[in-house]
Formats: sequence, structure tokens, C-alpha cells
Amino acid sequence: MSIEGYIIYGLAIVLTMISLLKDKDKTIQGLKKGAKSFMKLMPVLLPLFLFIGILLAIVTPSFISSLLGEESGLLGYVLGMSIGSITFMPPFVAFPLGRELLDSGGAYPQVAGFLVTVMSVGIVYFAAESRFFSKKSAIIRNSISLIGAIIVVLIVMVVYT
Amino acid sequence: MMQFIKNNKFLMISVVMLIVISIIDMNYTYRSLENTWNSIISMLIIVPPIFVMIGLFDVWVPRETVIALMGKESGIKGMALAFFLGAFSAGPTIAAFPLAMVMLKKGASYSNVLFFLMIWSSLKLPIVFFQITMLGFKFAMIINATMLVVFIISALFVEKLYSDEELQRFEEKAHTLS
Repeated sequence: MSIEGYIIYGLAIVLTMISLLKDKDKTIQGLKKGAKSFMKLMPVLLPLFLFIGILLAIVTPSFISSLLGEESGLLGYVLGMSIGSITFMPPFVAFPLGRELLDSGGAYPQVAGFLVTVMSVGIVYFAAESRFFSKKSAIIRNSISLIGAIIVVLIVMVVYT
Repeated sequence: MMQFIKNNKFLMISVVMLIVISIIDMNYTYRSLENTWNSIISMLIIVPPIFVMIGLFDVWVPRETVIALMGKESGIKGMALAFFLGAFSAGPTIAAFPLAMVMLKKGASYSNVLFFLMIWSSLKLPIVFFQITMLGFKFAMIINATMLVVFIISALFVEKLYSDEELQRFEEKAHTLS
């Protein structure tokens, strides 16, 4: 478990203790509520995890670098953002991949576009957001991040060339 | 049956994909299931304390407090709070949704909850530090500063895209989901 994991466990334990000292019944009620919302979320989350698992098996880092290695220039930037938007990757896979792409000669704007979209645009989030908020909200939130990615690409282009 | 398929679109798509990749190469299937198993396990490790805190939050923090701190009229204070909650967080973005639902349920405004989610997904501190070590300070900062500005501007205006009823419906939905 990572440091953040320990911190979050520590925090939960401390808060539960304080809560127990103040009001035992209320604490139990709270823990029950927490367990209940966990149970309600599992049916929504499990299919998502299956989908992410399949996606990560097909779209490996080496697959992506083979796609992003060749093209640069405007087409490469668009390609970077498109691939980032479709795929999903946890940050601890995405950023080392970004480093690798840069080291093997990838252009900065292209890598920036890929990283921003892979973190915040995608079908995985889209599904979760449609479920929790609404389809409209999912479209709006993903579009905001995509616009952000385009702005990032433009700025990186100006700074690094 | 049709209703089941409609309600479980994602599951259906995943099952179809699994069948297709199994035909192409069984190795993909094994790797997919292994990935799924690993992410479920790592989620089960990180997520319990989050739900403990969600439950405690639910019983201890009164609705009036959330409305005052993060509601429609909370202004800059609400956004700042949403920022800190998102930035000082841990766990995958998926774990942010239940928290977002509790906030909505208690009367936080849609724009503040959305802002919180956007910060959590791309600008939480563990990610930013990791990004700086992997990509260098300058490159990481251009990305993060730009996204922060985009998120702030969009959070300020996003509610204009919705009618009052639509905004109300988010809160109702949150009640059924948490």
C-alpha cells in the first residue's frame, strides 16, 4: 500500500474514534450508511473494472508508443489526443509512458495532448458520469477536458518550438 | 431480458469484447481477467476508509453546513473548498464519485461538485508530484496550470448550461445512489 493509503486509513481510524467517543449510536449508523453506499456502488463499478481490465490488456504502453512514435506535426497532435481520449490508463502507467515517448523522440505537444486526455477524457469516465450525473453532464465534462487538452497542446507548442 | 441488457450495457460490451479477444488470442483474455482482478483487489484495499468517512460525513455534517460551505451561494469559498478536497485526496477517480454523490445529496452545488471531480481526476497532489518527477517541473507545470485555469473558468459558467430542474435532478439522483 502507498503512503497515501496509510494516511487515508489513519484518518478514517482517527475520525471513527472521535465519532465513537462523541456518540456511539450515531457512529454505528454512519458506518452502516457507508457500507450501504458501498454495496450500492459495486454493481456500477464492477463492470467498469472488467472493461478497464480488457482495455489495459489490448492497449499496452508499447502499443501506444508504436502508434505515437511515427507521426508528429499537426496530425501527430490530433492522434495523441484521440488515442488519449479513447483509452484509459492509471497515472502510474501513463506518466512513465509519457517520459518514454519524450525520450524516444516524441514531440512535446503530442505527449502533452495524450497525457491530458488519458487522465480526464474517456469512455470509462463517460460511463460512470452518465450513471451518477447524466449523459449531458458526461458530455459537458469530457468536452471541457478536451478543450483544456487542446489549449495545453497549443501552449506547449509555443513554449517548446 | 431487454431491460437487463439495457441496464447493463457496460457489462454486455465487456462480455462481447472478451469473447472476441478470446477468439483472437487467449493470452489477451488471461491478461484482461488478471488486470480486472488486480484492480478490484487494489480498489478493495484503498476504498473501505473512504466509505467509512462518507458514512461519518453523512451522519455528522448537517445539510445546512454543506449548503453554507459549498452550496449555490458559497461563491469563491465553495470553490476553494472543492479544490482542497480534490487536491488533498488519494485513490482512483472512480472512488471520487461516491463522495461527489454525498456532497450533492447534502446540498453542495453541481458546479462545485464537478470542480471537485475535475481536480481529483487530474490535479490531486500525489499525481502532480509524480508528474513532476516523471516529466520535469516545467512541462508538468504548463499542463497543470493550464488545466487549473480551464477548470476554474468552466466551473464558474457550467451551471448556465442547465435548467433549474436539471440541476435539481442531480440532487434527487444522488439521494437514490448513496
